[in-house]
Amino acid sequence: MGRGSPVRERLQLRAFIDARTVASGANLQTDLLIVGGGAAGISLALALANMPIKVLMLESGGTDFNARTQALYKAGSETGVPYLHLEGSRLRYLGGSTNHWGGWCRPLDEIDFEPRSWVPHSGWPIARKDLEPYFDRAQALVEAGPFIYDQPKKWSQAQNANPLALGKGGVFTTYFQYSKTRDSDLPTHFGDRYGDDLKRVRNLNVMLHANVTGIRLSHDAGHVDHVDVATLTGKHFKIAAKYVVVAVGGIENARLLLASNDVMKTGIGNANDLVGRFFADHPIPGEVGTLAVFNGDIAPYYLVPRSALGATFRSAFTPTDARKRATQGLSSLTTVEGEIQLDGQDQAVVAATASSLGIDTSGMKVFTLGCGMEIVPDPDRRLTLSGERDALGMPRLNLNMTISDQDFARYRATLHELGRQLLASKVGMLRIRHTTRAEWLSTMDWGNHHMGTTRMSSDPKLGVVDANCQVHGIPNLYIAGSSVFPTYSASNPTMNLIALTLRMADHLKAQFP
Amino acid sequence: MSLKTNIARRPLLASLLGVAGLAVVGGGVYEGLRNATRRYPPTPYDDLLYKLSDRESAKALGAQVLAGATHFDPKATAKALRLKLRHKNLARVLEAEITHGDAVELRGWVIPQTLASLCALAAKAG
Repeated sequence: MGRGSPVRERLQLRAFIDARTVASGANLQTDLLIVGGGAAGISLALALANMPIKVLMLESGGTDFNARTQALYKAGSETGVPYLHLEGSRLRYLGGSTNHWGGWCRPLDEIDFEPRSWVPHSGWPIARKDLEPYFDRAQALVEAGPFIYDQPKKWSQAQNANPLALGKGGVFTTYFQYSKTRDSDLPTHFGDRYGDDLKRVRNLNVMLHANVTGIRLSHDAGHVDHVDVATLTGKHFKIAAKYVVVAVGGIENARLLLASNDVMKTGIGNANDLVGRFFADHPIPGEVGTLAVFNGDIAPYYLVPRSALGATFRSAFTPTDARKRATQGLSSLTTVEGEIQLDGQDQAVVAATASSLGIDTSGMKVFTLGCGMEIVPDPDRRLTLSGERDALGMPRLNLNMTISDQDFARYRATLHELGRQLLASKVGMLRIRHTTRAEWLSTMDWGNHHMGTTRMSSDPKLGVVDANCQVHGIPNLYIAGSSVFPTYSASNPTMNLIALTLRMADHLKAQFP
Repeated sequence: MSLKTNIARRPLLASLLGVAGLAVVGGGVYEGLRNATRRYPPTPYDDLLYKLSDRESAKALGAQVLAGATHFDPKATAKALRLKLRHKNLARVLEAEITHGDAVELRGWVIPQTLASLCALAAKAG
């Protein structure tokens, strides 16, 4: 029987464990416990393959959507700026929210890691160079092809179409790449894609339908003693581990720490009242602008994802780091969307401007613009425990959502600069659609990118975890995922959080000599 | 010999076509001149407004500028524009402005400051 034959492969697979079959009252043990089977948890489990340690990964759901499990995500209340329903903006089964993600990938920029005087609470304890060694592997896990991104010559040569020529200034054309499962148009759903790989890892067990309802510290709060696990069928048992990594998403990471308040009364890692604060997402206001391209010639990769060089990519406009520094700006990614027609007043503006500059507009095409924005960290944008409880007795969460007028104003300034550059090069014109807060909010959507609630800092007073994602003061407890991001960039978080998790994996490996 | 034979057909056709061509060209020139002069009675700002190649669009744009302006002083605007545009090509001035960031927004459109002022003057002049 040849290596790789179906029968041989089947023999190599270790079945997932069903927590509902574990006896209530059982006390299980492992070397390293991963709580959560989403992008971070699965990436970590695979990275620790073949280490001389026993690894156990717990997943609340099964391998498919289940409404009763999903209902554990319901919020207590949501106040402030209208936001997505917490139950619907993530998925609670193997693969987590990769089961419905859009697959957009872009690495964080250097400036995203830096302390910025104009961005309160900014500054990571690591730099981009600390993540760069992990980008290729993260890129491979999300199956986004070769790590190319901001190499416009490669894309334009491959597509025989140049990016729009912008006048000299602070905005340039950047590139997304897309997660795309081999032989499929869908982004990589980590549960489906890596389920069998997880089964092949000899030192790993995966337990489904296992909900961690509490992280239990030693009496002196010096380390994690065990975690409590419950199933929706009423089973309760404990798992002790030398190391525990919590990877249940940007919202649940905070919920679990806050709810684990039997020893530390304000919740684990929350001595400085930081857990749950600084919640963030990427605002995606719609129809932010109108782009008129005078000769109608715009490369198709601005409008839709295109395949080239073994990857799928799309262009967007983004401010340079230099401009952000010079103007106290924030990151943003402006995309070109559908083609539209101008009304009479807009036609007059474009015609008068173009004719005065001697530009022919007979072939003009007009498009609407969309965007994803960075927002400034805000401690009042916050998750707190509510008085309501879910089916497992866990407190539900209240969310207070905020966004400042200055966040909109900063993005608006970037659009203005883009409009100036387009006209300077006589390529086109840009109209900014929103001015007032009400206008911005009227078309608002969000990225479902939950970040910031267990922020990273080398100073325990300013962060929940340190540069290695270890909870300050608790040497055997780690947090994985975008909840550790102290600032948020405009780049989509998944590929970046995986890179950060792979870095954590190297750190954890060093703890097991 | 008949009259018919005294007039060659080809020169006659050429002459007729030439006359017709002159009429068309002449008519076009006349229409162009008429458009240039008919619609726009003399204004105190013609030394500036002649620089606008599409006066109708400029008026429409300018009307929008005026609609959003709390105060517009045409004399002061004209004076400032004369200083800025004297002996200069409008397109070159606008290019320089946009390059150096001297841009304003009209209905959200990013346009050069001077264009907005000139168009407002065109709208005011009628």
